[in-house]
Amino acid sequence: MTDTDSPDRKPGFLDVFGVFFGISAVTIGGGYVMVPVIQRTIEKRGWLDEASFYDLFATAQSVPGPLALNTALFVGRRVAGPRGFAAAFLGIMLPPFASILVLASVLGAIGEWPAVRGFLEGAFAVVPGLTAALAFNMIKKRRWTVLRAAMTMAGAVAITLSGSWAVPVFFAVVAVSWLMERRRTC
Amino acid sequence: MAHGEAAYVLSLALVFLKIGVAAYGGGWTIVGIIRTEIVGRAWLSADEFARLIAVAQITPGPVALNAATLVGFKLHGLAGAAIATLSVVAAPVALSALVGLIAAKASKRGGRLTEALKTGTIGLISMTVWAFAPSAASSYMSAGLAALAFVVSAFTKINPLWLILGAGALGAAARAFFG
Repeated sequence: MTDTDSPDRKPGFLDVFGVFFGISAVTIGGGYVMVPVIQRTIEKRGWLDEASFYDLFATAQSVPGPLALNTALFVGRRVAGPRGFAAAFLGIMLPPFASILVLASVLGAIGEWPAVRGFLEGAFAVVPGLTAALAFNMIKKRRWTVLRAAMTMAGAVAITLSGSWAVPVFFAVVAVSWLMERRRTC
Repeated sequence: MAHGEAAYVLSLALVFLKIGVAAYGGGWTIVGIIRTEIVGRAWLSADEFARLIAVAQITPGPVALNAATLVGFKLHGLAGAAIATLSVVAAPVALSALVGLIAAKASKRGGRLTEALKTGTIGLISMTVWAFAPSAASSYMSAGLAALAFVVSAFTKINPLWLILGAGALGAAARAFFG
């Protein structure tokens, strides 16, 4: 919207904390819902234009962790340094943590009521479909080569069957496909 | 007893620390690992875990973080919630801090790494799908809702929250009327 030519006052700890606390408190649905909201909000504030935001977002994806959290950390640091990093961490983390403590206590009391049990069963019933759609979109969006397809299928089977070894197997799959990508492009 | 308690809390922390390291590709990818670790160790039953996931997705915040907080709370109260949550974000936060210090533009050179990570994250989401797919076969209503959720979120831009809340309302009505 407005560009950032005018020397805005640099946002402080409380500004950054307030923005991310607000977004985290009202946005349900995780990273894919939250990231566009973060982008619009900080652009409106004149902190960061859209292109720089998506640069940061790309970098944030090279680090493990919830997308919304990583994006907020990178944005917080870019606009307000280490204090912004800390402010973004607290802003993103506190609302879900607090609401879960409240919700879990309430559910401890009323969780066996038929309507509440039914609600949770219904809300869970969509999970297989939602996760399958996520997988479908990841597969659809990728640029495929025969080698990538073969490696992805082998990796998916290996990780799915690996049980509590999933984390090391995941990194082995990433390492092997990284090596194979290199050989192909050379 | 105190010793056993400390060992238990430590293993809770280590499990979530490990899961956090592999949390590439958004929250749902690691829900399958969390389930394997928690249900596999018999810390929670499959049914208890399913209820936690239902709560995690209607609570503000990233679903994997919420799941970690809920698992910790269920197992060990407030301290468990804090330990599980901080453990699962420890690696992401440390690496975010590090990446910013070393190379802000790492992603530009990382095309190959990005592709390799995509291969890995498709594997992780497969694990999650594999973990939850059987529950779609538990009743006609579950199967119908799962199929509807797939079609709506794969082919439309409708916010999945409406699906979750609608399915919840349907489930509540079914229980209230038919028990």
